Amino acid sequence: MRTLRNVFRRKLRVLLTIFGITIGVLALVVMGSMAEKINMLVSGGTEYFSDKVTVQAAGTSLFSSAPLSLSKYDDIKAVPGVAEVSAQLGTLLDTEAGASFGMPAMIGGSDMRGQDLESFKLTYAEGRALTPSDIGSVVVGSDLVKKLGAKVGGTILVRAERFTVVGILDRTLTAPDSEILMTLPDAQRLYMQDIPEVIRGQVDQSNIVTSFVVYPTPGTDPEALASKINAAVSGVKATGPKAFQDQVASTMGIFNAILYGIAIIALFVGGLSVINTMTMSVNERTREIGVRKAIGASDRQIVGQFLSESGIIGLIGGASGLFLGWLVATVTDKLLEPRNLDLFLVSPRLAIGSVLFAILLGLVSGLYPSLHAARLQPVLALRYE
Amino acid sequence: MQTLETIIRGAGIHKRYVMGKDNYVDALQDASVEIEKGQMVAVMGPSGSGKSTLVHILGCLDSVNSGEVWLDGRRVDKLSRRDLAQLRRTEVGFIFQTFNLVPSFTALENVMLAAEYAGKSRREARELARTALAQVGLADREDHKPTELSGGQQQRVAIARALVNSPKVIFGDEPTGNLDSASSTEIVDMMHRINRDTGTTFVLVTHDPDVAATCDRVFHMLDGRVANGNGRHAEDGRAD
Repeated sequence: MRTLRNVFRRKLRVLLTIFGITIGVLALVVMGSMAEKINMLVSGGTEYFSDKVTVQAAGTSLFSSAPLSLSKYDDIKAVPGVAEVSAQLGTLLDTEAGASFGMPAMIGGSDMRGQDLESFKLTYAEGRALTPSDIGSVVVGSDLVKKLGAKVGGTILVRAERFTVVGILDRTLTAPDSEILMTLPDAQRLYMQDIPEVIRGQVDQSNIVTSFVVYPTPGTDPEALASKINAAVSGVKATGPKAFQDQVASTMGIFNAILYGIAIIALFVGGLSVINTMTMSVNERTREIGVRKAIGASDRQIVGQFLSESGIIGLIGGASGLFLGWLVATVTDKLLEPRNLDLFLVSPRLAIGSVLFAILLGLVSGLYPSLHAARLQPVLALRYE
Repeated sequence: MQTLETIIRGAGIHKRYVMGKDNYVDALQDASVEIEKGQMVAVMGPSGSGKSTLVHILGCLDSVNSGEVWLDGRRVDKLSRRDLAQLRRTEVGFIFQTFNLVPSFTALENVMLAAEYAGKSRREARELARTALAQVGLADREDHKPTELSGGQQQRVAIARALVNSPKVIFGDEPTGNLDSASSTEIVDMMHRINRDTGTTFVLVTHDPDVAATCDRVFHMLDGRVANGNGRHAEDGRAD
C-alpha cells in the first residue's frame, strides 16, 4: 500500500509510464496470441503427423487435395510394415472461400479404418463418434458449431445437403476444430457435385479419395516406410512426419520472430520510459532518500524500495496490457466468427509470460535508478534542495 | 583516555568538501569534542563554522578525511557503509530543521519506517511507533499526513521517529530553526523531558542562545574547530 502511494505521487507521469508498458504488453499479447494460435495449429498437425505416413497423388503438396484412386489402397496395404490404411477425402467446406488466415473449414470424409491405431484421439463435447454406417450423419468441429447452428440430433446444411449431427468435437485447437467429419461415401458424393460436368462421367465416384493415412506396424520407422511406399507404389507420394515438421519449422520460425520482434520493440520503448520515470523520481526524492538513510535504511533497503516501485509499475502495466490484449483478441475473434476465422489464442503461458515479462522489465529498468539512489551519501542527499 | 561516562568522542577530525578542482572547503580542521552520556549539549557557532558537519560526522551520516570518531566505546570512522547503516538505525536518532518526514506517509507510518528499517516486523513496528507517538503527545494524530500537521507537530513526529529504536544519542540539526517561539519551547521542553526520563543523550546544533541556555553544556565552534571541546575543559553552558 505504501509502495503504491509512493508510486502514484506523480499521478500523470506514472500513469503515462504505465500506459507505455501497457501498450508494449498489449502488442506482446496480441502478436503473441496470433503466434500461439498458429503454433497450436502447427503443433497439433505435427502431433497428428508424428507417427504416420500420408500418401497423396504424385505431384501434389502436403496441403493440397488432388484426387487419387482408391485402387491404390491394396498396393499400399501390401507394402511390408503397413499395419492399416485409411482412405480420406478432404475438400473445402465452402468452395467459394478465398485464402484465409489459419485453417479453412474442411469436409473430411474417412472410411474410418485403423482408428484403433490412431494416436491423435478425438474427444466429444456432445454425442458420439461416427461409424462407417452413419451415411447422412456428421460430426462437427468446435469452431463450426455456432456458424452452422449445429446441435446433436439436429441437422445442418453442408453444400445445400442436410446432414444429421451425431456428435460435436471437443476443442482440439488444431485442424479438427474447423472440420466436418463424415463417412467416405457422403464426402465422395459431395466432392463429385463440385467436379465440372464434362469430366464427371470419367470419374468413378466410389473410387475417389484425396489421401491415405498409413499406420505403420509397431517398430516401423514412418520415414523408412514412406520411402518404401514411394518405391513400391507408382503415382503416389508418401510423406513421413519429418517433411511436415521441416516445412513448418522454418516458416514458423520467421513468423514468430516477426510477431514477437514487434512486441519486444514496443516493450523496450516502455522499458525506457520506466527508466526515465524512475530516474526522475529518484532525483526528486533525493532528500527523502537522505532522510531514509539517516534513520537507518541500508543500501539494500533503498534498492528494494525503488525496485518494488518500478516492479509495481511493470505489474500494473503488464496486467492492464494483458487485459486489453485479451479484450482485443476476444472481440476480434467474436467479430470474425461469422467468417469462420479464429486468429488469436491467449494461452496461459502467454498470459503469465507477458505479465512476468512486464514485471521483469520494470525491475530491470528500475535497477539503475535504484542503485543510483542507494549509492547517495546520506549527508549529501540531505543537503540536496 | 576514555572515561566510562563518555559516549561520543571526536579527536582531530578533518573534513574537506571538494566542489571541483582547486575548489574545496575545509569544513572541519582538527575538531575535537567529548560528550558525556545522558547529557543534553548544544553546538553553537556562526554559519560555516562546521557545526552541522560535526554533528553529521558524529552521527555517522558523513565520513572523515582524518581523525577518530568514537561512539559508545566503539571506533566508527572506519566502518563500512553497511555497518554505518546498522549504527544509524539502532544507536543514533536524527532530527532535522525541516522535519524531513516522508510526505506520502502518515505520522504513524513515518515512525514505523525507522522501526522497520531496524528489522522490526510490521506489527512490532506499529506498536513501537504508537508508543513513541504517545510519548510526544501525538497519539491522536497518527493517521495524519505531514501536510495536515503544524510545524511543531511535524517535529514531534520526527522526535518520535528518532526515538522509536531507543537510540543512545539523538542528534538535532537546528531542530527549532523552523519553528515559532511557542513551538520551539514546546519542542525543547519535550527533548529535555525525554533526556531526563530515558537518559538519551542529545546533541543539538542551534543558533538560538535561549535553546543553548537550557543545555548541560555548550560547545562553540569557529572555523572548523571546537573552541572549547577538548574534554573536561569545556565551559558550562549555563554560564552563558
